Amino acid sequence: MSNDIEKLGYDWITADSEKVDVVGDYYCQTRDIFQARLNKMVDDLLMNGNIKTEKAYLVSAVAGEIGNNSFDHNLGNWDDVMGIFFAYDFVDNKLKIVLADRGQGILKTLKRVKPELKNDSEVLNTAFTERISGRAPEARGNGLKFSKESIKRENMHLVFTSGNAQAELNKEMEIKQIDENIKGCLAILTV
Amino acid sequence: MKIEIKKFGEVLISRPAGREAYLAASAYLLKDIDRNELIEIDFSGVKVLAPSWADEVVTKIAEDFKNIKLLNTENSSVQATLKTLRDYSDLKI
Repeated sequence: MSNDIEKLGYDWITADSEKVDVVGDYYCQTRDIFQARLNKMVDDLLMNGNIKTEKAYLVSAVAGEIGNNSFDHNLGNWDDVMGIFFAYDFVDNKLKIVLADRGQGILKTLKRVKPELKNDSEVLNTAFTERISGRAPEARGNGLKFSKESIKRENMHLVFTSGNAQAELNKEMEIKQIDENIKGCLAILTV
Repeated sequence: MKIEIKKFGEVLISRPAGREAYLAASAYLLKDIDRNELIEIDFSGVKVLAPSWADEVVTKIAEDFKNIKLLNTENSSVQATLKTLRDYSDLKI
């Protein structure tokens, strides 16, 4: 596996539509492919042994939630390339997981159910802390709250970017504005 | 009645898969069961459980039946998922 999956993920989400890599090992066009690769990640983590079994299970659940969120909220509505980028690797003895989608982004998704949301920073805070679903009235929307609490409890680190806002989560969550505009969502989880 | 969750898979993460599991359980395992009967949901053998899958199965079974017991919930992802459902999906068990 590449030891620079973070760059590959960033390049994938920021590439022009016609230049997006849709044949590489990290591209999951459909949810089934993502599920199969996530299952493999679980097996790889257990075989590798760098991460304790129980932590490996929780990390996989967090990655599963973030990846599935991309499919849940963009199904039938992808802007250009459907599916997600999903890669994992050990970098400096730490597990790094990169997930990216070129979908609508959190602001557009949640503004449908909470029109008063003004910007990407505000919406990221809402997504990680409030009881809200982008697919209301259908009950959804637990994934990022679950991720936040799991990250805090197991001392993981997540950088989650959507639009021009970036949330950094560890024991606490900090949200800042960034200088570029990331289409869709880019998540980098370090364990 | 005991529902062995591992029979739906070891890595349970998505809502569509959860919805499918709930439909299968409703048709084959829970059909004609009195809503007051004890339903045991057994998580032994499950490796990864995420709230999306569980919300479609555990939350819904808990709405359908009054007497639910959760078994073998030691797995970290099972524990964290059940806490999330209690906090955000009104799961009362």
